[in-house]
Amino acid sequence: MSRMEIYSPEGLRLDGRRWNELRRFESKINTHPNSSDGSSYVEQGNTKVICMVQGPMEPSSRSQADSTKATIEVNLSVASFSTFERKKRSKSEKRMVELKATLERTFEQSVMCHLYPRTLIQVDVTVLAQDGGLLASVTNAITLALIDAGIAMYDYVSCISVGLYDQTPLLDLNGLEEKDISTLTIGVIGKTEKLALLMLEDKIPLDNLESILGIAIAATHRLRDLMDDEVRKHGNVRASKLAKN
Amino acid sequence: MDVTEVINITKPSRSRGYEDEDDDSDIEMLGNNHNDGEFTNNNSSIVTPGELITEDPIWMKGHGTYFIEDKTYSSVAGNVSRVNRLLSVIPIRGRYQPETGDHIVGRITEVGNKRWKVDIGAKQDAVLMLGSVNLPGGILRRKSETDELQMRNFLKEGDLLNAEVQTIFNNGIASLHTRSLKYGKLRNGMFLKVPSSLIIKSKNHAFDLPGNISCVLGVNGYIWLYKTNLNNQNNNTTNINIHNNGASPAITRLEEESSWEIYSDKNDSNITNAIRSNITRYYNIIKALSFCELGITEPRIIMGYESSLSYMNVGSLIDKDSMETICQEIINNEKMRG
Repeated sequence: MSRMEIYSPEGLRLDGRRWNELRRFESKINTHPNSSDGSSYVEQGNTKVICMVQGPMEPSSRSQADSTKATIEVNLSVASFSTFERKKRSKSEKRMVELKATLERTFEQSVMCHLYPRTLIQVDVTVLAQDGGLLASVTNAITLALIDAGIAMYDYVSCISVGLYDQTPLLDLNGLEEKDISTLTIGVIGKTEKLALLMLEDKIPLDNLESILGIAIAATHRLRDLMDDEVRKHGNVRASKLAKN
Repeated sequence: MDVTEVINITKPSRSRGYEDEDDDSDIEMLGNNHNDGEFTNNNSSIVTPGELITEDPIWMKGHGTYFIEDKTYSSVAGNVSRVNRLLSVIPIRGRYQPETGDHIVGRITEVGNKRWKVDIGAKQDAVLMLGSVNLPGGILRRKSETDELQMRNFLKEGDLLNAEVQTIFNNGIASLHTRSLKYGKLRNGMFLKVPSSLIIKSKNHAFDLPGNISCVLGVNGYIWLYKTNLNNQNNNTTNINIHNNGASPAITRLEEESSWEIYSDKNDSNITNAIRSNITRYYNIIKALSFCELGITEPRIIMGYESSLSYMNVGSLIDKDSMETICQEIINNEKMRG
């Protein structure tokens, strides 16, 4: 079989999507009500992520306590069965450490940390399956879990990856596409155009950046709506349950 | 190329979920009902983070909100509450928020300088000062340096106790006290944790249940189920008989009871199998109430106990079916009594 085309002349990608088409986005909130303060499950295409939030709680060590704001600790673990080839991944891998730091910095900005001084918010993320857009799915999952935990945030942080093929931006890359073309991941706060996160591991020509950011921001707004629907659905179910009692 | 156009696909609506064999009209009906429900819910609908609540600058901003240029936004997912001019959002879920006077159950996490740190399931651990506990030797006893040195003999890490919230400091940390005989170290029983939102505040959070079991229903969602202390009860009644003008037995008995015994680590020797199985029965009933998200109150626990007696095997109570049956029975019972 000859090499597949990333983007065919007819305007279709490897998995049959168009350039501005998102993968199936599905999310659940409050998936682990007994073992955590807030939890969520996010599927973006074949990338599947579970997130659990504990806290705000008393930090286990004094060094983690900040007398002015909450400390956010993100633990990212990637299951060894998450890719085609089974591979043990260590947490100290350079890429993992960088992702962890990026996530912590992102959420320190959008969570109202000053409301919870001397506490720790512990975020545990498990990646069950990865097929591109890992950072994006993880960010979305953390946002939902934090909301479930009742932690005050300025707004949703919705996140999406976008790539550039020739002159065409391609939205929400899957694993195959991500391998071949350069990828930009952005996280947007709510319905604004404020970026909470921007990750670019390779190069993108500067004159294409604007169109890429444009489509990516539009996509994050769409994702915010999808997440918001899920939160509302869950919230109304709970509210009606409480009203009954 | 239109830059703002995004296509996304979503799962087809849930109505075709589990009743595939039903004919189409039924499914449509279901869908309609669902919509109606949503519509009626709308006026009490929840808000989510980042949602604009009001542009009117007249409102004061309470918890769960923030404002930019006089516009008030929600910062959590929950219900809006308006008290006079104060606007706040109460989150659907969240940790226990201590309030003065709450009767709570906690666990010692740290022994420090003249104080214990107590985990009460709140955002921060509470403190229990050495000065706010009853020490062996009666009420008028002064705390000395030797007491400071032997704090671990009274309460050590991992010990469970029930206490009352005395005050909340400015920084949100709760201060506890156990200066009454109903408070203190917990023994002869089993610990259980439920979401604190399910505990309904009432006058009494410690009560005796049928089957020789007592219960401390901490407002923070920590619950202690234990064998009823018969001695205690007898004392209580005699005391009340003597001082029938209603003097609190707690104070009259303080001196005689404030011995080392109140800090003993030994369980009673005569906890029978029947009592053990009763404790687990209550444990499972409370679990069932929390599973069905019913508020946990004394009458409901007793009703649950009565309806659970038809299950001989206590272990079978935690099956999903039996939990739902028991809760349904409790609800029916309440409806009948009005």
